[in-house]
Amino acid sequence: MKETIICRCEEVSLEDIVNTANTHNCSAREIKLRTRAGMGYCGGRTCRPAVNAVLEDLTGEKAGHNVPLKVQPPVRPVTLSVLGGNRNGH
Amino acid sequence: MLDVVIIGAGPAGLSAAIACRESDLDVLVIDEFPKPGGRLLGQLHQEPTGEWWNGIKETEILLNRANTLNTKIECGVSCHHIEKTETGYLVHTSQELYKTKKLLIATGAAETAAPIPGWTLPGVMSIGAAQVMTNVHRVKVGNKGIVAGVNVLSAAIARELQIAGIDLHSMALPVKNTVTKDHAHPEKVMEGLVRIAHLAPSPFLRFGSKFAQSSKVRDLATKFYPKGGFKMWGMPIHVRKAITQINGTDKVESVTMCDVTPEGDVIPGTEEIINVDFVCIAGGLYPLSELASVIGCPFRYLEELGGHVPVHNEQMETPVEGLYVAGNITGIESAKVARAQGAVAGYAIANEPERLKQAMQAVKKIREAASIQFHPQIKAGRAKIHRAYQEYV
Ligand SMILES: Cc1cc2nc3c(=O)[nH]c(=O)nc-3n(C[C@H](O)[C@H](O)[C@H](O)COP(=O)(O)OP(=O)(O)OC[C@H]3O[C@@H](n4cnc5c(N)ncnc54)[C@H](O)[C@@H]3O)c2cc1C
Repeated sequence: MKETIICRCEEVSLEDIVNTANTHNCSAREIKLRTRAGMGYCGGRTCRPAVNAVLEDLTGEKAGHNVPLKVQPPVRPVTLSVLGGNRNGH
Repeated sequence: MLDVVIIGAGPAGLSAAIACRESDLDVLVIDEFPKPGGRLLGQLHQEPTGEWWNGIKETEILLNRANTLNTKIECGVSCHHIEKTETGYLVHTSQELYKTKKLLIATGAAETAAPIPGWTLPGVMSIGAAQVMTNVHRVKVGNKGIVAGVNVLSAAIARELQIAGIDLHSMALPVKNTVTKDHAHPEKVMEGLVRIAHLAPSPFLRFGSKFAQSSKVRDLATKFYPKGGFKMWGMPIHVRKAITQINGTDKVESVTMCDVTPEGDVIPGTEEIINVDFVCIAGGLYPLSELASVIGCPFRYLEELGGHVPVHNEQMETPVEGLYVAGNITGIESAKVARAQGAVAGYAIANEPERLKQAMQAVKKIREAASIQFHPQIKAGRAKIHRAYQEYV
């Protein structure tokens, strides 16, 4: 059986996340930081709901009404020059 | 300083812009896609009345109206951050930094992935990507495909692919895991299937809508679901079979399909290899609300609306001053509802009480008559989110 990739940008598999949770017995946020799931180029655009579902399942931390795992700007990949205020990317 | 920036040029954003321009507000619409229209562009389905809903035509109607009113629309521009200031908002985009008094977020919905082994192979795409490639870019996505995920959206798009002459083997469930959960649970999927029954020229599925209310009968139907699936437009729909793995070395070559129990557990020894060159995965939609989250708008988690939704009232106002939301960011519904909600937000921003009242009534009427419904409890969800708003003011 092939592994199930959860976060494709950082190539984190379901097994990686489960193993990290079992080894460190830690919070959803710490699992995310340790595995880098959802922290790749797309900023979690593709896997955010999947990462949330896995982490909720493993840690029992219910998201509730707050959006799980805080959304940080930039919410799209942007160049450093755009972030630095040079709008036309020069 | 602009009067209002609208993020998203889908049906909600465009109709809001039109409403604002009727009052001559200084409006700017931005959208990161190269063309305006949002998800409307890809839509093509036949209504129960026999009429066709053609998204490209509907977009043209909105754009013509917007152009007549000299509306500024910038495409290919992504908003990546917004900040609140004393007098309004700073909108950070991939091009310019915009200053505006009011802000409308109409960013629509995103697709939830259904991760199954092999889903990162080239040739695997979300069902929405297949829709955009087929109906917007007119690119043939493959020669023979299969759909993993059975729901309103995937059934409608599978039909669109068929109309475009693309061969689909069948639709089946994704294999059960912590992420696919309900999408891999035959009984829960059946519940959704009976809601699309009116789209299907299959006697069983139409019969199905009659027992939608009774979960006992539904569970029986799941149990005795035929091995060959039920056919919708000649294509088998399986709820007792799951795609357990997508196979191939450099690209999709086949999938492995297995029989599953009524709870979605794989029955060993039932593996079957099906040769396909593309796979569409369909895990449902959720409101794309990241920008509302960045600005600190309060949220509610409401399954009835499709996930986390920014708190707002019936006028589409949020508790954050000058911040409005409209369309699928407020809950997953059809394009007609999104378009009507946009008008509400626009008239609320322009402060046009008479038109606002009419637009709010129109939303209710359109919701009542909707032929495509993503969530059955939408009205209950709407009531909850509007109550939540009351708690903030
Ligand atoms: C894949 C898919 C298929 C669908 N198919 C159907 C269907 O067949 N029938 C139906 O009735 N409904 C369908 N829907 C539901 C659909 O969301 C609504 O019909 C309708 O299009 C919602 O309108 P909207 O204006 O809220 O959002 P959308 O039409 O999604 O428009 C939102 C726009 O915002 C833009 N945007 C988002 N984030 C940013 C950003 N940060 N910066 C700049 N621009 C941004 C997007 O590019 C997009 O053009 C589908 C939804 C999806 C996701």
